[in-house]
Amino acid sequence: MIQVKNVTKKYGSFVAIKNFSFEIKHGEVIGLLGPNGAGKSTTMNMLTGFIEPSEGSITINGNDIVKNASEAKKSIGYMPENVPLYLDLTVKEFVKYMAELKFVCRKERNKQVEEIIKETGLQEVENKLIRNLSRGYKQRVSMAGALVGKPEILILDEPTVGLDPKQIVEIRELIKKLGKDHTVIISSHILSEVSQICEKVIIINKGEIVAIDTPNNLENMVDKNNSIIVTVEDSENKIQNLNKKIKQISKIELIKDNQDGTKQYVIYANQNIDLRKTLFDILPKENITIFELRKSEPTLEEAFMKLINKDIEGGNENVGNN
Amino acid sequence: MWAIIKKEVKSYFLSPIAYIFIGLFLLMSSIFFYLDVYVSGIVNLEYMFYSLSTILTFVIPILTMRMFSEERKTGTEQILYTSPRSITSIVLGKFISAIVVMVVCEICTLLYLAILMYFGKPHISTILITLLGFLLLSMAYIAFGMFASSITENQIIAGVITIAGFLVIWFMPGFYDKLSIFSLINVFSNTFPQGIITYQAITLFMSFTILFIILTITVIARRKSVK
Repeated sequence: MIQVKNVTKKYGSFVAIKNFSFEIKHGEVIGLLGPNGAGKSTTMNMLTGFIEPSEGSITINGNDIVKNASEAKKSIGYMPENVPLYLDLTVKEFVKYMAELKFVCRKERNKQVEEIIKETGLQEVENKLIRNLSRGYKQRVSMAGALVGKPEILILDEPTVGLDPKQIVEIRELIKKLGKDHTVIISSHILSEVSQICEKVIIINKGEIVAIDTPNNLENMVDKNNSIIVTVEDSENKIQNLNKKIKQISKIELIKDNQDGTKQYVIYANQNIDLRKTLFDILPKENITIFELRKSEPTLEEAFMKLINKDIEGGNENVGNN
Repeated sequence: MWAIIKKEVKSYFLSPIAYIFIGLFLLMSSIFFYLDVYVSGIVNLEYMFYSLSTILTFVIPILTMRMFSEERKTGTEQILYTSPRSITSIVLGKFISAIVVMVVCEICTLLYLAILMYFGKPHISTILITLLGFLLLSMAYIAFGMFASSITENQIIAGVITIAGFLVIWFMPGFYDKLSIFSLINVFSNTFPQGIITYQAITLFMSFTILFIILTITVIARRKSVK
């Protein structure tokens, strides 16, 4: 469906995208991940034909995005990053204009506009000027603009940025629904969002692809160090000497000193063993009260950090986000 | 292209731009009608258009300065350039929509012709030739204004470049005599309002218009590869 071959984008001597090659099949939901300035928007802009690659080729449904732009663009619905819209048009006028731009035939136009307005939940505001809408509604209008013309591919650049939590959930649900019969590419830096929605993730850093895989495989890439997270009440601070009693412990690290007198530690095992049972037995005997005890699970966030910054150790980030 | 023309004309009339443009144009034409026709007591509308051609220098930028710079500034160019429409049809669509507003102005000036016809016998064919010449001049000016709008995202800068360009076109014969054959306003006043159509004039206006339409398309296409 989408083939990207050896694509490079240069701005003068600065290389924004370096030798990208990947393929997206029909019906896949792909997440484009990367820190700010990694090249996510540049990649999306090239996929939609807004800018041209300096080298390499992008083929959409067999049509080259540069040489056969009009045909290639017919299969794409694009929602740009900052939701640019014509503010002096009403919602309905805008969606209709988008339908006209995308060559939707006159007979089908009105019906399709109605359908899409309904699908994106814009009926209440369809006759309002876009200028007077809230950010959430504007995001939906932009989404409606992308959906009109029934494109097979949807490219959504940071679709949930600037929305309140309720709107984020709604937009995510909409994307999930659309993912059933569209090929969807979304860019985001919210990793939980990507792991919820996407089947495959492309991680970009400094203009290079660092990984292409499923969120699960990426999470499993993080070395399992069998660390345990434990929150305890330990007035005598005995836990620091625990490694003398349990030989398998390699390191104990304090990560949080809670106001209620409890402390959160991460305990690393020096072998490939599960320390939970031993800790459950030993800690009460040492007069240490357990408030929480769990295994540290690798997350996409960890994988992401590990991939883009090899110096950062796995366990810490995960814990910090709990 | 029709979709773009429709939307652009609508945008002109939804914003104050079309009203300011038409209002100013009609205000100036009524002043010139009073000065050139009523005061001098001549049944001759051509003089009014001769004077009006100087006003184009200052009113055309109102129409053209936002054409591409606004799209670029607000980011809506992303909507346009990622649609299956070609750059040529987008540029032509915008160009024609500005011409439509200009034609509306010209139609309004027919009112003066009606007044003249009521009181005397104006030379209809000369007036029609003048109207045609005026439209050709406006087209060339609009093409230049559109080009200026495509090279910057700041509307004010686009407007200033347009006015500066028109002033150069207007006054260049003053600096060097031989340039008067390229001064659009000069060529206009020496031909159409006198009932004369020359190949030279038509070629100049048309080639100027086409040149700047092509330049606009080139600027936008080029930006796609360097942006």
